[in-house]
Amino acid sequence: MIRFDGAAKRHPDGTLAVEGLDLTVPAGRTTVLVGPSGCGKTTILRMVNRMVEPTAGRVLLDGTDVAQLDAAKLRRGIGYVIQQAGLFPHRRVIDNVATVPYLLGWDRKRARTRASELLELVGLPPETARRYPFQLSGGQQQRVGVARALAADPPLLLMDEPFSAVDPVVRSGLQDELLRLQAELNKTVLFVTHDIEEAVRLGDQIVVLREHGRIAQVADPATLLAAPADEQVAAFLGRDRGLRGLALRPAEGIVLLAANTPLDGWTLAVDQEGRPTGWQRSAETIRQVAVFRPGLDTLRTALDSAVLSPARVAVAVDHAGRVIGLAPRAAVLDALDAAGPDTAAGITATGVADGR
Amino acid sequence: MGAAGIGGGTVNLYSWLSQFFGDPDRRHGPDSIVHRVGEHLLFSGEALGWALLLAVPLGLLLGYTGKAAGLVTALSGAARALPTLGLVTLAVLLAGVGDTAVLVPLVALAAPVLLVAACEGVRSTDPDLRDAARGIGLTHRQVLWQVCIPWALPALLAGLRTAAVQVIATATVASYVGLGGLGSYVVGGLATRDFAQTIGGALLVVLLAVATQLLFALLIRYALPAGLRRARD
Ligand SMILES: Nc1ncnc2c1ncn2[C@@H]1O[C@H](COP(=O)(O)OP(=O)(O)OP(=O)(O)O)[C@@H](O)[C@H]1O
Ligand SMILES: [Mg+2]
Repeated sequence: MIRFDGAAKRHPDGTLAVEGLDLTVPAGRTTVLVGPSGCGKTTILRMVNRMVEPTAGRVLLDGTDVAQLDAAKLRRGIGYVIQQAGLFPHRRVIDNVATVPYLLGWDRKRARTRASELLELVGLPPETARRYPFQLSGGQQQRVGVARALAADPPLLLMDEPFSAVDPVVRSGLQDELLRLQAELNKTVLFVTHDIEEAVRLGDQIVVLREHGRIAQVADPATLLAAPADEQVAAFLGRDRGLRGLALRPAEGIVLLAANTPLDGWTLAVDQEGRPTGWQRSAETIRQVAVFRPGLDTLRTALDSAVLSPARVAVAVDHAGRVIGLAPRAAVLDALDAAGPDTAAGITATGVADGR
Repeated sequence: MGAAGIGGGTVNLYSWLSQFFGDPDRRHGPDSIVHRVGEHLLFSGEALGWALLLAVPLGLLLGYTGKAAGLVTALSGAARALPTLGLVTLAVLLAGVGDTAVLVPLVALAAPVLLVAACEGVRSTDPDLRDAARGIGLTHRQVLWQVCIPWALPALLAGLRTAAVQVIATATVASYVGLGGLGSYVVGGLATRDFAQTIGGALLVVLLAVATQLLFALLIRYALPAGLRRARD
């Protein structure tokens, strides 16, 4: 657990980066800091591993003021991932990942064995181990950065916009990977981003910051989207926060029609295994079929599937991609109602009118 | 006779060289090529060694702390302006003081080049890389050794190459004070108007400098870790 206790940072040139932060980062969960550029996210993150020393207040790590710990030792116990990956260009990937174990005095063999495990854990093929960083794509370098941070199995990870330098598809893949890892490892993660979508996706707790590191709101993603503390936060979350909220609800309890039901003359063609191959109506064929997996995907995916289908139904498939039924748009919306009225209630309760 | 006259220069050069290389003294004894090259390299090596010892640690440290960067750059400018002829004169003047005094101008020639190479090499380390290294728990000393010095290696080797070639070329002056080396041929030849010796000696100095140049080119090409060699190609 990390506790910021009035932690402030004023730079020698007089710039007030963080005014005085009181915040608790719970153990074993992901806390995301979001906020406009220059609001102090990086500064706050770096106070934890003493890359920035607070000019007032304290940062407590499991009850101990980090200022009392040896900086290098402290840092070896904290995973640190930055936007530019920061890999050593003259070392092979495997030795990059083993950097902290080497610093901790592990013997070479044990450190490398551990490093190979981690490369596998972050989804890199074994042949990557012998490459040099410049031989990897940006996304792969970022995975190596994550593997390096995890190598000595630290209980705490600090991640400063780790995925913002890669394209959206790679970013989404890296986010999935982090979610999977986190489900397995349960680290305390403090994650900085200015991408609200990423925050909602990864965070158990989201801290919305204003300039000088002032806290605007601390909440779980669903509450944040449903009930922003004020108009400024609502504006920061963006216009389609209602739709984003759908991404937090599982597509469950949707009443399905039989897969072979013709709708508006459209029928769903399937292959021998029962996987959808296209929509057909007399001579017309549409080959792309958007699907959702009940229980696995979110209501957002289900709604997306329904919107994209010419027959105006969402196509439900099982984990192997076989069609299990069709869900008309109305059925998807019914499931949304059944999921509870917290969106409307939240907004009424806090009295926020966001003009829609 | 006309044709031979036109080709006279070539014939002379050829005959001078064959006279020089054909002399049995070039093969055995204190005036043999192997012996003179050995002297030359020993003397150059000694000067380079001192320069390395004096300039590189200081350069690395200044580069890491980022202090006195302006001073180092100014020094490099001043060093480039140092005239080799002046150094030779200085060497001759110093000859009265003692043999090793000739080392001084040679060290003075090499040290600034190495100082600047070390300083700039370390200083050019990617700041994000340095920051990440600190952030994952390297101490300053470890950052210098494990990150900045490897980063500076190509620049350091390039500096060493320049310094080595300059020293080898200039070490010809060593013979003025009787330290031998390839300069003995040049100086001796000039003194006795034996042009075969002078030209042969000069050719050997050029060959040695070119060989050094090549050696470093190979070193830079093959001895650096792949990540350093190609990352910045
Ligand atoms: N070394 C420094 N000297 C002076 N001011 C600084 C220094 N480092 C950061 N600042 C200032 O402190 C404030 C907070 O910076 P910080 O890097 O924490 O912001 P951030 O929220 O991470 O921004 P971004 O989203 O752009 O990364 C900014 O106004 C910045 O200009
Ligand atoms: Mg930042």
